[in-house]
Amino acid sequence: MRKRGTLVAKYYKSVGFTCWFAAAALAVVLLLGLAPAARAASNGMLRVGVLEDPKSLNLWLASDAWSNRVLGLIYQSLFVREPKDSKLVPWLADGEPVYDASKMTYTVKLKPAKWSDGTDFTAEDVVFTGKLIKEFKVPRQSSKFSFIEDIVAVDKHTVRFELKRPKAIFLTRTLTTPIVQKKQWEKLVAKSRKSEKPLAALLRQGVDHPIGTGPFMLEQWKKGVFVYLKANPHFFGKGQTMEGYKLGPYIKGIVFKVFGTADAAVLALRKGSIDFYWNSIQPGYLEQIKDDPEIKLFISKKSGLYYMGFNLRKPPFDDMALRQAVATIIDKNFIVTRILQNYGEVLHSVIPPGNTFYYNPDVPKYGYGLSFDQRMKQAYEVLKKAGYTWEVPPVNAQGQVQPGKGIRLPDGDPMKEFVILTPPADYDPHRAMSGQLIQEWLRAAGMPAVSRPMAFGALIQKVKGQRDFDCFVLGYGKLSLDPGYIRSFFHSGMNKPNGWNMSGYESAAYDALATESNNAMDPNLRRKMIMELQNIVMTAVPYVPLYNPTIIEGVRADRFTGWVQMLDGVGNIWSFCDIKPK
Amino acid sequence: MRKYVLKRLAQVMVILFCILTILFVLFRLAPGDPVSRLVDPEMTPEESQHLIEQLGLDQPIWKQYLIYLKNCSTGQFGYSIHYGEPVAKVIWEKLPNTVLLFTTAVLLSAMVGISWGKIAAWRKGKATDLGLTIAALVTHTLFLPWLALLLVWVFAYQLGWFPITGMVSDEVWMDPEAGFFTRAVDVGYHMVLPLTTLFLIHFGSYLLVMRSSMLDTLKEDYIVLARAKGLSERDIRNKHAAPNAWLPVVTSVGLSLAFSINGGALTETVFSWPGIGRELVFAVSHNDYPLAQASFLLISTVVLLSNVVVDVLYAYLDPRIRY
Repeated sequence: MRKRGTLVAKYYKSVGFTCWFAAAALAVVLLLGLAPAARAASNGMLRVGVLEDPKSLNLWLASDAWSNRVLGLIYQSLFVREPKDSKLVPWLADGEPVYDASKMTYTVKLKPAKWSDGTDFTAEDVVFTGKLIKEFKVPRQSSKFSFIEDIVAVDKHTVRFELKRPKAIFLTRTLTTPIVQKKQWEKLVAKSRKSEKPLAALLRQGVDHPIGTGPFMLEQWKKGVFVYLKANPHFFGKGQTMEGYKLGPYIKGIVFKVFGTADAAVLALRKGSIDFYWNSIQPGYLEQIKDDPEIKLFISKKSGLYYMGFNLRKPPFDDMALRQAVATIIDKNFIVTRILQNYGEVLHSVIPPGNTFYYNPDVPKYGYGLSFDQRMKQAYEVLKKAGYTWEVPPVNAQGQVQPGKGIRLPDGDPMKEFVILTPPADYDPHRAMSGQLIQEWLRAAGMPAVSRPMAFGALIQKVKGQRDFDCFVLGYGKLSLDPGYIRSFFHSGMNKPNGWNMSGYESAAYDALATESNNAMDPNLRRKMIMELQNIVMTAVPYVPLYNPTIIEGVRADRFTGWVQMLDGVGNIWSFCDIKPK
Repeated sequence: MRKYVLKRLAQVMVILFCILTILFVLFRLAPGDPVSRLVDPEMTPEESQHLIEQLGLDQPIWKQYLIYLKNCSTGQFGYSIHYGEPVAKVIWEKLPNTVLLFTTAVLLSAMVGISWGKIAAWRKGKATDLGLTIAALVTHTLFLPWLALLLVWVFAYQLGWFPITGMVSDEVWMDPEAGFFTRAVDVGYHMVLPLTTLFLIHFGSYLLVMRSSMLDTLKEDYIVLARAKGLSERDIRNKHAAPNAWLPVVTSVGLSLAFSINGGALTETVFSWPGIGRELVFAVSHNDYPLAQASFLLISTVVLLSNVVVDVLYAYLDPRIRY
């Protein structure tokens, strides 16, 4: 008995040691850890939650949205979009550009400004940036400068752009290109020039401390954890009133905190660990946070386009009547109300309504405002007129809608099963579910549609690279406000592997007008052309525009005030120059 | 022994070459390609083509393979397509974070698992054994992201004891006066929840292996002899039974330590831990071939070498084994 007692005691001693060891370690870490966290709260520092690090601080490589969030506050352009109507207004430029039609030149005056290292921002920096882009053919930038013959520094604060030919994007794209500092980049450029592959070398140049003219400058970057930008004491806009806003910044700095998941970021917002979650909050989270008095939600329009595309290179989608019928059957309103839970808008054109200047509200609106039966009847009429027949038509002799079966093409052959490719639900549940719904609607009309989710990379390769597909559902989260993309999407010159005309739409009339619109310098004339282009596209329907989700952003209501809401949300330079601690 | 080690190292080299080739082929067979990731509507076809040529992605596959083999043999893993930085730099920035978390988790789980496994075997059939075995089975089979989110919800959000994910507090790391100790404590503080998750998931496997191995050992004649010699129960358990039960556990711990450089994409994602696991998944999903290939190669090398080390260690642990 005594021996047993001793054993048990020893055994408990052994278990106890392990438990106490673990408990002690936890307690020590906890207690000591709390000390630095407790003195964390500091005023005037904005904490922003993001889901990814910047890809790079090399401006020419960093093209993704997460890098732009950081670099957009450091590097500035000559013109920016104002918050109210998204019109271009002078930023680093001092006044509107002066056009000399006889010489085809634009002269731009510059504001007196300084780089974040205290040196002067001059016309030489603008010239250097333009020439760098042209020389290295920098991706996403060089097309903005390809039509420019020369850029000349007239004096320290005046630049002249000499154009080869008129181009509409000069005002909207060229003048909104971020400017880099000649002093910082000329060494990197010289090094890159010596390489066998100069562009690759330029994109791989490490830029640890980018020098810009923006309201903030990089102080520290701990990769995968946070990026700390502090207020730039040399910011040219400080104290100036632009577009009705007296610019700051009024905060000491911004800390971008990286979260692995949206769950963690939303929890951090609710807990107060961050002041702003710079990403659209999915409607699924809203139930929990909409009644939280400490969180203010901003619901903003977005410049996005989510759509279904057809492969016009092969039957049956080479038939416009079929495409129009499909567009009629799809209930976009149902997608917006049920899948997006009303956080979005129905799209009828490939240019979203948020782009107020170029949006054409008068394009054909297939099936809009109709009930399911009405849409089905209308689509049935279109198809019947085009020569389609059915084993069981979706509308019977009495004019009542019934489940259709066995649609036959005008030549009498049965329509083969076709696939609607969508991204997988874990990548984008909205698009995956839209594909499923479209499949069901088309089946109701007797069409053998199958919706198939596919890994995003594979989907892009199939649709854009190999062009081996029937239909697809894709989207663009943030389209440029310049509508130049409408040419890329449907111009026959882009109908080639990896070209942007994925549907394979070809029309000589469209090509001519699209090219003309790209060269038009008069914004109103260009607007007219872009309106007409939308009309042509929405009659031919290579794409069925589906929806444009709204952006739902959350900020702590108790921390900062002065958020500026514009197209694409409150995460914009006007907000960061205007917000003040409460 | 030296001959054996040299022979094993030669085998490792051959296997590594095979892995290099398989990795190259697998990534090219995988759906998607880096080109479609790189180009966007903002780029003209001319810009896209120029970029593809500059990055060498227009080269025929066999040429890419030869360049890849040549670069690997000289330790040059190239540049990450996504980050534009040397692959080695990207890996070395993230690897220490992963090693810190996962190696600590393996060691802690192994220490506790082995210790409790020993006790469970010693108390076979009793309430302690039952309790520990059930606990091990339950925690080992829990779904890691669920457990991780639950811990974050309870201990970070509701109770506010720990930070909501992350590896460091920006306030501490932005403070130039914060010394090494303060920063180390801050990392430790952030490690508590991920470490607890990994510990709860993994200690059970060591416990069960140790328990099973110890039960076999306890049936051996030398244990009866030890009892007959009148040795204390503690000495029999700790000095005679346990050391002989370690062999399978050593293999398990050795390989777990090697695999700990692989990290865990799920753990790292849920806890926003900037480690190599997340990076690896990102590289694969974004077709960043150089980064993905180098990461897998690193993992393969460490696992293969750790196998050799474990084999050599066997000879020291078990005098019956000689090479």
